[in-house]
Order: sequence, then structure tokens, then C-alpha cells
Amino acid sequence: MKNLGYVVLVIILVLLLGKACLRRDIPETLTKTEGSQQEKLTLDVYPANRKNVTINGVDYIQTDLPAGKFGGTMINSTIGEGPKTFNPFNSKDATSSTFADIMYDGLVTIDPVNGQYIPKLAKSFEINGNDYIVHLRRGLKWSDGKPITAEDVYFTWKNIILDGYGNTSTRDSISVDGKLPTVQKIDNYTVKFTTPKPFAPFLASLSTPIAPKHVFEPAVKKGKEFFDTFMSTNINPKDLVTSGPFKMVEYVPAQRAVYKRNPDYYVINSKGEKLPYLDKLIYLIVGDANNEVLKFEGGELDVIGVKGPDVPRFKERQEHGDFSMVNLGPDTGTMYLSMNLNDRTDENGKPYVDPIKGKWFRDLNFRKAVDLVIDRENMVYNIANGFAKPLFTPESLNSIFLNEELKPYPRDVDKAKEFLRASGFTWDKKGRLRDKDGNRVEFDLLTNAGNSEREAIGVMVKQDLEDLGMKVNFKPIEFNSLVNKLLSTYEWDMVVMGLTGSPLEPNGGKNVWLSNGALHMYNQRKPAEAGVNLLPWEKELDYLFEKGATALSFEDRKKYYDRYQEIIYNEKPMIYLYSPVRISAIRNKFKNVYPTSLGGIIHNIEEIYIDTGGGNGHN
Amino acid sequence: MDIIKYILKRILQTIPLLIIVSVVSFALIRLSPVDPLAELRLNPSISQETLDRERERLGLDKNIAVQYGLWAKSFIKGDLGITSNGESVAQKLKERIPNTLLLTTIVIFLTWLVGVPLGIIAAVKWKSPLDRILTVLTSIGMAIPSFFFAVLLLIFAVKTGWFPIGGLTSSNFLEMNLGQKVLDITKHLILPVTVLFTISLAGLQRQMRGNLLDVLDSDYVKFARAKGISEFKVVFKHALRNAINPMITLLGFEFAGLLSGAALTEYVFQYPGLGRLILEAVMKSDINLVMASLMMGAIMLILGNLIADLLLIFTDPRIRTGGTK
Repeated sequence: MKNLGYVVLVIILVLLLGKACLRRDIPETLTKTEGSQQEKLTLDVYPANRKNVTINGVDYIQTDLPAGKFGGTMINSTIGEGPKTFNPFNSKDATSSTFADIMYDGLVTIDPVNGQYIPKLAKSFEINGNDYIVHLRRGLKWSDGKPITAEDVYFTWKNIILDGYGNTSTRDSISVDGKLPTVQKIDNYTVKFTTPKPFAPFLASLSTPIAPKHVFEPAVKKGKEFFDTFMSTNINPKDLVTSGPFKMVEYVPAQRAVYKRNPDYYVINSKGEKLPYLDKLIYLIVGDANNEVLKFEGGELDVIGVKGPDVPRFKERQEHGDFSMVNLGPDTGTMYLSMNLNDRTDENGKPYVDPIKGKWFRDLNFRKAVDLVIDRENMVYNIANGFAKPLFTPESLNSIFLNEELKPYPRDVDKAKEFLRASGFTWDKKGRLRDKDGNRVEFDLLTNAGNSEREAIGVMVKQDLEDLGMKVNFKPIEFNSLVNKLLSTYEWDMVVMGLTGSPLEPNGGKNVWLSNGALHMYNQRKPAEAGVNLLPWEKELDYLFEKGATALSFEDRKKYYDRYQEIIYNEKPMIYLYSPVRISAIRNKFKNVYPTSLGGIIHNIEEIYIDTGGGNGHN
Repeated sequence: MDIIKYILKRILQTIPLLIIVSVVSFALIRLSPVDPLAELRLNPSISQETLDRERERLGLDKNIAVQYGLWAKSFIKGDLGITSNGESVAQKLKERIPNTLLLTTIVIFLTWLVGVPLGIIAAVKWKSPLDRILTVLTSIGMAIPSFFFAVLLLIFAVKTGWFPIGGLTSSNFLEMNLGQKVLDITKHLILPVTVLFTISLAGLQRQMRGNLLDVLDSDYVKFARAKGISEFKVVFKHALRNAINPMITLLGFEFAGLLSGAALTEYVFQYPGLGRLILEAVMKSDINLVMASLMMGAIMLILGNLIADLLLIFTDPRIRTGGTK
């Protein structure tokens, strides 16, 4: 009898625990109407007119948004282990770059609405052929009170960027045929850059931060090795000399960075008061996305990027909550499926790709069949909960270079089978696909383990391809070994991956598309193999990317980049799947919030203020 | 004098051990197919030149034996090197060690303070309802996975709003006065301490109970009882003295766990301790940081055992005479 009591107790406990563990692993399929609720979350137009005004010899930017109240704090967050360096020229990861962007302004910045480059630290700039003449604002100061002059710009470009200190990606991206642009100081507030050839992407590089010469010069003199460790996160934030709207005052590793407003910033409101309004800006360093959601719900965070699966939950809370959600439109990230087109052999004469499989992958009909059988809509609704858009082009959907002519098409199994038949594929009695020579079509599909989104895509791709009678062995493997296979050993058949691109500058993708690019994964060549076995369309892509970079007007460039998208759309070396839609949530107390697709939710951080009274402000 | 000789001998013995540990771990990290540059290589805006330069800077272009030699040389000199991002490893560890120590010492202190007496009570009141209840509770404590319990408590914090959601300090910590600071840290510590306390309390209580029960069953205790000594004296003067020896060995292991025992809980609570730092380092194959933490773990374990053995010499005369022979 006594024992029975124990047994019952234990069973109840186990049941209770089991109930608590229960969780639906597979998200419920959303109906299309539910998914389209996202349309309700629309963007307002960013109404600000910004103009240059000069007061007491200082060139300010004046904004005409409604003047607000000063003071208050905004708490933002970053996922991961925090910044790796505070040196904007060493930054190689997104978090470090975010932190650097708050602290350092560049000469130009992007217009958050149309993506064109507009002056920032520069008062204005002129482009005459190969010459870029930049006029600086007068009367601006570094956070330690020293003036910002052409000397700083010249030093940053000549001694840091062009001499190859830190992360040399900026320098590498502006070298044309191995030649670098030159920089010249004309007077105290004017700098001239000259590119060796007409080179449109150069303008984008002017958004690189400008460094205070008096702080960076001693480090540069100590050489590159010292520069790599200069201004690491060990530094006391008080020693940072910055030009941005906020200055870092406290950095607690793995917890947060606290910024205080820069009282000398050069943006003023319509009343002539110096912005930013906010007193403090705090970035919490949050280790993982789930904790970030909890922190937002617990009120410890003011702004958050909401992932697709969390949207319904946030929407429920929004009804009674003190925050609103904004749909920022498609992300710059793209998910794709790619096949290994490599037909070369390694140094021992062994083909990188099994020749039987290689023959399928290099067959355009096979690639078209794979593309047609993939159900992008299904992925959007089941993986991203409807918060994504099907994608058919290599440029992301918010790119200003997107080729609108390339139309989406639906899944079509019959047409896919036709393409396969045209290449001599047949189906045996059991419905298994066999090639001309009778080989069973079977290959591996890889992705990086641990990324649940890509794993879900892999499962769906496998199921879709099975409709054609293919046998797909889906193998998620560790990220680092996947990269090793893709870029060093080339031993892979098909892969699900994602890349982020720039919505403003297709030339940033040249590493992927140039036939000798370092990320030309679908047909990766060793440096010694440059130009070997070029496919006709690879050759054309090489040509288009060269032309696209050297053409100057947007219309001319668009023509080249339209053609490149058309080639990928037709040849399908990479089959694009979908772009997630970015959704952010922000507390209602913040006013003057005008998110844009290109700028994100707080691109105008200096104009945002807090009004808890409610009523007059926006939102 | 003998004790000093013994200590010296033990310390000398650790040297080959540390060399073996370091060689094995270095080889394991470097031979695993983890490419420390994988993330950079997949970033379209990073050029080949930058990659080559990074490879050279991190010494990845050299052979593993040479890499190990370089690492060992600077390690012996007391230089832990720099992380792959150019931060000083020693500095990084220094930032995190106090946080982890704060958490683990509180937990160890509390568990011993509560666990040992509970174990004694359970053993003395063997098979009483109190013992049974304690058994059920500790079984639950031992069975519940730490990360799961931590997640439950986090949800509790969100729903009630009584506790902060992870971290160690609030975002306005800098502006608080001393009293508020202490209160703030205490508030942040309650949940992680609860998790770790529940889990290690269970083990300790069972251990203490078992040890004491063994001893209480032995002949000399029966003899002492037969002599008519009060039960209190039997338990606390005679039995406990012997039952405590295995606990001292356990304390040595707890010492080793001071810096490495709480990684999972730290991760769930976003606690800025060593666990998160080292997890990230392993993922990125940040060799200097991983090696520093592994060596630290090995040294702590050896040190913990040494301390336990020394304590045993003092508490247990049998070992004392055995050790000097």
C-alpha cells in the first residue's frame, strides 16, 4: 500500500515534467491568409529633409522632423559574444562593425530611402570622371575636442587603408587591375581621390570611418602587427576618440556596452538644438536569440529583431503590450541550393566530383528540373511562417539593382520531368530515376548542422527531389568542415547555404561570380586553374562584372547587372529559394521612428526621442 | 619536513602530466577539421589577401609541431598569448574568472553548509519519514538536467518579473551606490545559484548519508554504543570523524570545478563567466584561449587533489604514517 503511494507520486511527477517538456517540433502550417497578415505591418515614409546650415562657423546638418524631448535611454542588443575589437579598421564581424558605426562617421552615408550616397562628415562631394573631390564640414570636433580636418581624412586613407593596415578588404575592393586610387589633400577642408580608371564602387568605400590622426598615428608607426592588436576590447573606453553621435563610456565583457550622447554632434533639429535626443544608448550582449526574446518580454530591451517563428507570439502580445512591430521588407540574406559543376581533377588525377554525378549537375536540363520541382511557397509558409518571400534572383529583393524582368514561376513537376526526359533520364518500375547509362540518380545534400532553418530547407528539398525519383542523402555537417569541403577539397554534390549581399553594390558579390573568385563555390578553381574550362556564361559573367564596376552612371551599371542576374536565372548554378522578411519590434515610447528597408529600424538614431506622455508624436 | 618533501614530489609528478595534457589537447584541436577562418572565408567582402594575411598571423601556415613549440615556449614564460582577435588571453581570463569564482564559491559554500548536515540527519534518522522525504527530493535534484531547470527558472523570471533575465549586473549599474550594487548582483545571482545548488546539493547529501551509514554500521560504533556512550557522542565524536574522509577527497574535486563546473548554467543565464568565453573559443578554434583554459582546468584539478591529499594527512592518521614510510 505504502509502495503504491510512492509509485503514484513518481508517475504524477513524471507526467508533470513530461507535460512541461511537450513542445511542437514542427511548426503548424500557416494558411496563406494568415501569412499575408504581414502586409498590415507597413513602413511609413521617412519624411525628413536634411539640409546643411552654418551657424558660428560650424557646418551642421539640420533635420526638419518634429523637435522632441531630450534625455532617456534606449536599450538595444547584439547576439553573440560581443565585439572583437573597437578598431574600425580591424573589424571583420558584424557586431564589431555595428559598434564602430555608432562611434565613427564616414565621409558619406547611404540615403536610407533610396540607397544613394549622401554626404555625412563631408559637407558635399563632386565626381568628375576619375576624381572625387570631398569638401569637409568646418568646425567639427573629435570627442576629445581636437578639430576634424582634411589631415585626418588624408591620414586615414593614405596611411591606414591604402597602406594595407588592419582588415584590407576595403583596399582590395577598390583596387582596379591591381592599381589603387590615390588621395591628395588640397586644403584643410578639401581632399581629392583619384581612381586609376572609372570605378563606380569607389563611392561606397567613402563611407569607411575616418580615424583621428592624433590617436592612430602612433599605432601605425609601430607597424602592422601592433595595429592588429591596437584598440582591442581590452582598451578603456574613455581612451576612444570618436566622431559619431554616441561615445562609449562603459564596456562590460559579455554583458553590455554603454554609450553616452556626444554633446558636440553636428546634427541639429528645427529649433537649432544639437542632437541626439537620447542621453544613453546601451547595447546588451546576449548570447543567444531565445534569451534576447525573453529579455524583450521582460522589459529589459527596447528594440529587437523578431524571427519568423516568433512573430505570431509577438503579435499576440502587441495587443496589450507597449511595443509595435515593423516589417522592414526582405532581408539582404539569400538562401540557395547549389550543385558542384566542377569537372577538374586534383593533383593525383582524381576527379573532385564523381564523373557520373558531375555529368548530371553540368546538364542544364537537370538543374532546371531540380529548380522547377522545388516548392518555394511551401518553404516560405512552413519554415519562415510566411515571413519570407520566394526568391529567383541572386540579387536580394531590396537591392536597388534587382532585375524586375525576371518573373517568379510556380512549382511544376510535369515540366521538370520533361526536362529530365529530354536529357535521356528514365524512370524504372519502382519510379527511381536513372540516367542515360542506367545509373541510379543518388547524391548527397549538405548543409551546416545546427542551423535549424537550413536543416529544415534540406529536408524539404530532399522531399521535393524525391518526387522526381532522385535519392537524396541529406547530411547536415559541422560548419567548419562544410566550408572546408566547399572551398578547399571540393568534395560535395549539392549544398544548401546562405550568403548576405549588399542591396546597394552588386560588385560586392564579385568573389562569388568571377570565375576565379574566392567564393566561386559552384565551380571553384584553384589559383593555378584560373581561366581553365570556362563555361561560356562564366566568361560572360567575368566580362559583366568588370564592365559593371567601371561604368559610372547607374543606368549603365544596371544594364550589366541585369544581364548577370538573367544569366544566373537561366543557367541556375545557384538556385535561389527565399529571402527572410525582417521584422523588428520597438517600444511605443520612442518617437520619430521611421524604419526603412535599407536603413533598418534606428538608422536615424540621433532624431529618435522618448515621449511617454503619448499624443503628439508619431507612432 | 616529510610533508614538504611529499608536496615537492607531487608537484614534480605533475610536470609530465601537464605536458601530456597539453600535447593531446593541442593535437586534438589542431587536427580536428575545424577551420578557424571558416567564417571569414564565407564572407564575400573578405578578400583572399586578407585571408592569407590572417593565416600567417595566426600561424596556421606552419606545421603543428612548430605551432605547439611556439605555444609551449611562450606558455612556459608565462605568456598566454593573444586571442585570434588580438586581445590578450590573460586579460580575457582575468575579466571572467572573478565572475565564475563568485558564482561557484557561493554555490559550494551553500551546498556544504546545507548538504553535510542534511546527510548526517538522514543517516542518523535512517528510514524515518524525514529520510524518505529527503531521498525523494535529492533524487529529483539529481535527475533534473541543469539546463532544463535553468530554462524553467528563466521563464519563471519572465512571467513574474521578480528577477532579472540573466546577466550579472543591470544596465544602469555604473550609477548605483554600493548598497544598490550589492543588491543588484544578489538579485542576478539568485537564480543561477538556485540551479547549481539544487543539483550539487543532491549528490553531496547522498554521499554524506552513505558514508555515515557505513560507519554507523561498523563494529567500533556498535562497541561504543555498547559501552553506553551517549548517541550524540557516538555519532559526532567517533563516527563522523571517519565518515568525513571521503568528503575531503570530494572537496578536492569541487575545487577543480570552481572554474569549470558551471558552463551550462552560465550559458542559459547569460552569465558573463568563463563558460561562455571558452565555448565560443572552442567553436572558433581560438587555440591560445582554448589551451589556456584547458591548462587552467588541468592545474586546478591537480591542485585540488593535492590539497585534498594534504588535508587527509592531517585528518587521518592512517595515511599520515603510510605516507612517510
